[in-house]
Amino acid sequence: MKKINKIITIAVVLIFSFSCSESFLDYSPKGSLTSEMLNAPEHLDNMLTAAYASLGNDDWSYAISHMWQWGSVRSDDAFKGGGSVGDQGEIDYLEQFVTMRTDLSKPNLAWIAIYEGIGRANDALSRIDAVTEADYPQKVIREAECRFLRGHWYFLLKILFKNPPYIDELTPREEIKNIANNILTNDQLWDKIAEDFQFGVDNLPEVQPQKGRANKYAAAAYLAKVRLYQAYEQDNQNNVTKINQAKLQQVVTLTDQVINSGKYNLSDDFAKNFLTAYENGPESIFAIQFSYDDGTGAPGRINKATGLNYNMAPEFGCCDFHNPSQNMVNAFRTDENGLPLFDTFDNVILRNPEDFWNNSVDPRLDHTVGIATHPFKYIPAWVMKSSWRRAPQVYGYYSSMKEVAPYNDPTYRKYSAFMGSACNFDILRYDDVLLMKAEALIELNRESEALALINEIRTRAKNSTNWLKMTDGSPISNYKIESYVDGVNCTWNKDFARKALQFERRLEFAMEGSRFFDLVRWGIAAETLNKHFDTEKTRFAFLKDAKFQKGRDEYLPIPQQQITLVEGKYVQNNGW
Amino acid sequence: MHESLRKKSKRWVLRCLLIALSITCYSNVYAQKVAITGKVINSVTNEVLVGATVLEKGTTNGVLTGPDGSFNISISPGAILQISFVGMVPKEVVIGESRNIEVSMQESISRLEEIVVTGYQTQRKVDLTGAVSVVNVSDIAEIPTSNTMQALQGRIAGLYIETSGDPSGRTRNLLIRGVNTLGNTSPLYIIDGVPSKESNQFNYLDPNSIESIQILKDASAASIYGSRASNGVIIVTTKKGKDRFKVEFGSSTTAQYFTRRMDVCNTEEYGRALWQAAINDGTDPGTLSARYTYDWHTDNGVAVLDKVNSVEFVGGNPLLRATDTDWQDALFRRGMITNNNITISGGTKTSSLLISLGQNHNKSVIKYNWFDRINAQINSSISFLDGKIKVGEDFHLANLTEVPLRGDHNGPGIDNFNSTTVISNAYFMQTRLPVYDANGDFAGPTGTGFSDRNNPLHVAYLGRDNRVKNLLLFGNLYLEVQPIKNLLLRSRFGIDYDNSLKTAIERKWVEGFLSRNVNYLETERGNKFNWTWSNTANYRLDIKQNSFDFLVGMEAIANDYAWMRGYKEGFADQSLDYLQFSAATGIASISGSRTGNQLLSYFGKINYRWSDRYLASATLRVDGSSRFGEENRFGLFPAFTLGWRIDKEAFMANVKFISNLKLRSGYGIVGNQEIGDEARFGKYATNYGTLSGNRIIGTAYAITGVNTGNLPSGYVATQLANVNLKWESTSEINIGIDFGFFNESITGSFDYFGRTTKDILTRPPYPGAMGEGSYQYVNGATMKNKGFEIVLGYRGDVGPVSFNVTGSVTSFHDRITYLPASVVRSYAGNVEKTIIGRSVTSQFGYITDGIFQNAQEVDNGVTQAGKGIGRLRWVDLNNDKKIDAYDQDWLGTTLPDFEYGLNVELSYKNFTLSLFGQGVSGRTVNDGNLGSTDFASGQGMNFGKRVLKAWTPQNPNSTIPMLSLVNRNSETRSSNYTLRNGSYFKMRNASLGYTLPSDLAQKIKVGFLRVYVAAENFLLIKAFGDDAFTGQDPETPGTVYPRPVTYTLGINITL
Repeated sequence: MKKINKIITIAVVLIFSFSCSESFLDYSPKGSLTSEMLNAPEHLDNMLTAAYASLGNDDWSYAISHMWQWGSVRSDDAFKGGGSVGDQGEIDYLEQFVTMRTDLSKPNLAWIAIYEGIGRANDALSRIDAVTEADYPQKVIREAECRFLRGHWYFLLKILFKNPPYIDELTPREEIKNIANNILTNDQLWDKIAEDFQFGVDNLPEVQPQKGRANKYAAAAYLAKVRLYQAYEQDNQNNVTKINQAKLQQVVTLTDQVINSGKYNLSDDFAKNFLTAYENGPESIFAIQFSYDDGTGAPGRINKATGLNYNMAPEFGCCDFHNPSQNMVNAFRTDENGLPLFDTFDNVILRNPEDFWNNSVDPRLDHTVGIATHPFKYIPAWVMKSSWRRAPQVYGYYSSMKEVAPYNDPTYRKYSAFMGSACNFDILRYDDVLLMKAEALIELNRESEALALINEIRTRAKNSTNWLKMTDGSPISNYKIESYVDGVNCTWNKDFARKALQFERRLEFAMEGSRFFDLVRWGIAAETLNKHFDTEKTRFAFLKDAKFQKGRDEYLPIPQQQITLVEGKYVQNNGW
Repeated sequence: MHESLRKKSKRWVLRCLLIALSITCYSNVYAQKVAITGKVINSVTNEVLVGATVLEKGTTNGVLTGPDGSFNISISPGAILQISFVGMVPKEVVIGESRNIEVSMQESISRLEEIVVTGYQTQRKVDLTGAVSVVNVSDIAEIPTSNTMQALQGRIAGLYIETSGDPSGRTRNLLIRGVNTLGNTSPLYIIDGVPSKESNQFNYLDPNSIESIQILKDASAASIYGSRASNGVIIVTTKKGKDRFKVEFGSSTTAQYFTRRMDVCNTEEYGRALWQAAINDGTDPGTLSARYTYDWHTDNGVAVLDKVNSVEFVGGNPLLRATDTDWQDALFRRGMITNNNITISGGTKTSSLLISLGQNHNKSVIKYNWFDRINAQINSSISFLDGKIKVGEDFHLANLTEVPLRGDHNGPGIDNFNSTTVISNAYFMQTRLPVYDANGDFAGPTGTGFSDRNNPLHVAYLGRDNRVKNLLLFGNLYLEVQPIKNLLLRSRFGIDYDNSLKTAIERKWVEGFLSRNVNYLETERGNKFNWTWSNTANYRLDIKQNSFDFLVGMEAIANDYAWMRGYKEGFADQSLDYLQFSAATGIASISGSRTGNQLLSYFGKINYRWSDRYLASATLRVDGSSRFGEENRFGLFPAFTLGWRIDKEAFMANVKFISNLKLRSGYGIVGNQEIGDEARFGKYATNYGTLSGNRIIGTAYAITGVNTGNLPSGYVATQLANVNLKWESTSEINIGIDFGFFNESITGSFDYFGRTTKDILTRPPYPGAMGEGSYQYVNGATMKNKGFEIVLGYRGDVGPVSFNVTGSVTSFHDRITYLPASVVRSYAGNVEKTIIGRSVTSQFGYITDGIFQNAQEVDNGVTQAGKGIGRLRWVDLNNDKKIDAYDQDWLGTTLPDFEYGLNVELSYKNFTLSLFGQGVSGRTVNDGNLGSTDFASGQGMNFGKRVLKAWTPQNPNSTIPMLSLVNRNSETRSSNYTLRNGSYFKMRNASLGYTLPSDLAQKIKVGFLRVYVAAENFLLIKAFGDDAFTGQDPETPGTVYPRPVTYTLGINITL
């Protein structure tokens, strides 16, 4: 019995002597860092890298690197494409304008993604601001890079939504939800964006050791772009009321800085702007650096914004979105002098194979548009077939080419039904700088100085036919393009120069996602697009109800979801 | 491989059966009296029974047991002894070779005397004061599911379950007394005393090894489990070996059929619908010429279709002759379930052992998809020192193997396991496309007019080598010490282990314009190890008419989960044997993490009873959790209950028809800590390669301009800190009445409960302008939930037929009473109409007012983007003459107003028939496939047949809007068109069984033999009317794994 009692006593003591100290409940998170840890100078470069990474954090569901849904499909350049009108139906709403709503998901996703970029830039910036140059010698340069990225993101928000709330690195995170979108006027917001780029112009080095980083000239070029947009002053109804001469003068000064730096020039062949092998070339001022097979999970950080835009060629397979409009294809037609037909281009339809021989065309057509019977993407033996089109009965006969990598590009990758490549996407290119300067000069009544700039672009285009060859070496189409010669093939006055400039921008940047924003800047979106709809709907029935509502459709509505999340603190855009 | 395994296990089971049979065989006996000695004991307590009657059957030869429970009797060889004792179930014993027998008798528990496990202790059911449901385990044992939870559907008042037909039996929604929180609503499971939040451990128990299931529904009953009990507690006890050696064998085979088909267009009808849509749109039907050409003419301005011609070859490919494929036939098949179990058990006064082996194979109704479960249960105990010390263990092991459904090309890989895309592809793949091309290869979308969806059979085939495996181990070791009478000290160490392995194999393939040109292997291994150590002391004290039960204890719990995933591309050979990571030469990636939490608790409870009439209890539990900061780490969870057994009062003595009447009431507080282990911390992380869907959200960037290779990476915020995070708590009042009339032939109970859940843990969405990682967990909301449960039963006899009818009705209604501004936006509603005051399952949307019949109506209508003749007209609720987000209203809840169940059991002689039906009423569901069955705007996929009945000027009474190739009016938006009445009634189960009479059973030397046939899910009655659900099964709206109709043949034998 004694033994039993002993055993029992020991057992009882054991059981109830287990008095856990509270340390049993201690727990530290796994695989993460605290915010404070990242203030150390050795992490600051990485915080900025994360901000750069946002440039490529994209997807076709909102596409903010290559803005084809926002700037191309919404313009007269392109149709949505895809399998049917209802396929990715929200893009159809964008395209038709008349069915747009304030609560669609795509604008909301774009909004969120852009503010993610801003958030990362602000996060890095606030940490870099807090250290001394002694601890972090690159401090000022890195600050300027953060602000460059932030400027880029706000520029996108500005042209998409007009009145986004402005958040900088000084705003505590918990305060952000209280910031309204009408604190700054239209012009003040442009100035805020400009300040960031000005800081870059003042503080960034002329050359960065790493190609992906913004340098002084990238900042200057972007600032020029901001000032150019800002120069066309808009009222609350989105009417262009005045063109600000001082701003235009700044555009000239800034673009001159880039041009005179001697660090950039046009590539010898236009094609090189759209091929992976030539990325970061002499024309590229600032580009999104995509990569593949980089350990980030298949297929890598390729360009996913345009993942839907590959046609139905057997080497691709899907999904043939972003189809050139007939109107745009016709715009590449040239007259007997090799000049564009500003007012009459759309009277002749380029459709059948012989049309590209019976008419003359700008060579940039075959850099931009996939056309049945024409070699695709500079591969003579790879001739596009009509079967590469997915819904020709709905969306016509052409497919997009610039953003599409050829199947033999080593960086071309297929992921699920979609495709992409590591080919960089240029946010700022030298041809843009030349044309921005030309535009400013024209509006400053110095159109004669603009002539040479536009001709520089046209000359390069003329020389860009080396890769536009059939297998036998003959040209694909009947190319004829010439420079403007005042008094010989044109009368170069301000009105003509403006038309020439606007047309040149369309041809040079066709399908690159900027056309719509150009039209809005110039204040001619409503008239241009409604005219376009009037003719194009006779060719394509799906456009029969399309209508651009002046004063409203120049900008997307502030996403209703966001208005709701801030308890209505955002004021909705005009007309919505 | 699995086929052979299954055969093997079948053979093995048969062999066991033969061995078991031979054990019980014995040689014949002489016709001479034999002397038998023996002892009669109580099977539960092992106490000897003094004065029990022992009678030779069919004679008057009998004796009584002596003071030591023993007896001596001479009987004819082969005779049967009948043993009876007051309060015990009479027993018959066949005398074989043995001359010395021990007879253990079970207490004859009227339902009132049933013993119920209520948390660290047991109580008589009659003494319960909380809301506790007891599952009738025998009802569910014969249901041929892989998943025990699925078998409980509709059978317990207050337990709401939605299921699908997935062979793993995954439940889609499981609620005890409705929704009480905005986050995790899963209950706490207590299996043999060990707690777990892992539903797998319960779901994949073999029903044959379950002794009892109790459900603690209200806070006063559950509060002894404190912090994790707010969603209710399910207590499971597995069988233990007792008294004589016993071998039980059960086997069943089930055929399963996919019967609720999607009613889709054939090739001609699809062409017709497209034509009609084109005509309606004013589009030339010639634009459809890649697929169809039409002979049609105009009659008085009305287009008339004469003939639909399907283009001969799909996409012009001569290998693909257009046809009329039944894709549902192509994907679905007859499924089979086999179920086998053998349990060997036995016990002595000091020890007990139970070994159970089970096997369940579910070849589901979708080709290549199957689920397999193997169970083993070993429970044993031994006591010594006169029962003062007892040690034991209960261990359960389950090995699960599944070929999950896989996503189509859009989402192969582990992340899309169990995607139902393959099912929607089978519903809506265009019928023109053949399953195979002329070469016998899988056909796929080709040419114009197809969506980028895969051939569903090809998808299923591609997934054939994918696996999800789980090795589950659950159990405990315990030590019980009884140092003095009525004091029981128990220390129990439990483990809850889940080793999971998921494997996705993706080969190269081409199918129409879809293809994959890189192969890969992806695996994910997860290791979950949770342990619990609980120490309790129970003490019973009886002072005259006062009875006390005391319980004190402590519990420490640690949970740990680690996972790792690998991915590698580029295999030279695609055979299964070659697909090992080391064999690949392409890019690779690896990811993994770990998380965990700890809980430390102290608790106590007192149950008090006075003279069987007045009952009371008080509970207190203190729980600390590592999920909360030091300030708020501990939570306090008290409860009190009162009970009054009115029938025991003197004044009720003359009320003979009342056999039981008890009033119960309780109040308690329970907690919820179900948020992430790291929810309170502010976190930054590197997202080197993190994807969110297809979208990259990473922090790595090729800043140097290189195109490939390892990239520099940064860090990004992933979560904001909340140091004030604390427990969510639910307080509940429960009032109940239990009654039994006419000697318990009518029984029933009624429970009413009211709950308030405060400080609900949520993670609200944030304005995009805040940037990434602005998620912050907060104690956000308050909800109220109230409801009632009624259970009514009647048992009786009509002539030789005895019957037992049980019905139950459950109703619960939740409403959110408070939400901080930041959280309101997470839920349905808009700035003007918020969810406050409404159920969290509320549906919100537009209201239709029919179809615009003519141009005049369109012109008179308010501004509505996309309005037109034949289009749905939305109601301008706020009279601002335009349709926008403010014209939405509340359109019902996805949880029903009522759930009801009816179980009827009839027995006649040796036959038993049981019927079980269940239904819900007052439920609004999203008719998820309407976009495909009512509209022609998604032209890449087939349409439901309803499109053929759509509105046209000639068919103006249709409620289905005019067909159009575009959905300009956004008619699939959330509205009372898409949200419909999802009420239903289902006959869940019917079974007919036959038990061999005992004399016959003895002839073939078995103790018990039962055969049965059963059918499951064979009748569905849906709501009808204009607002009725139009899809196949309102229980599973949208595209969900359909629940098959099953037919089972089974046998149970006890030796």
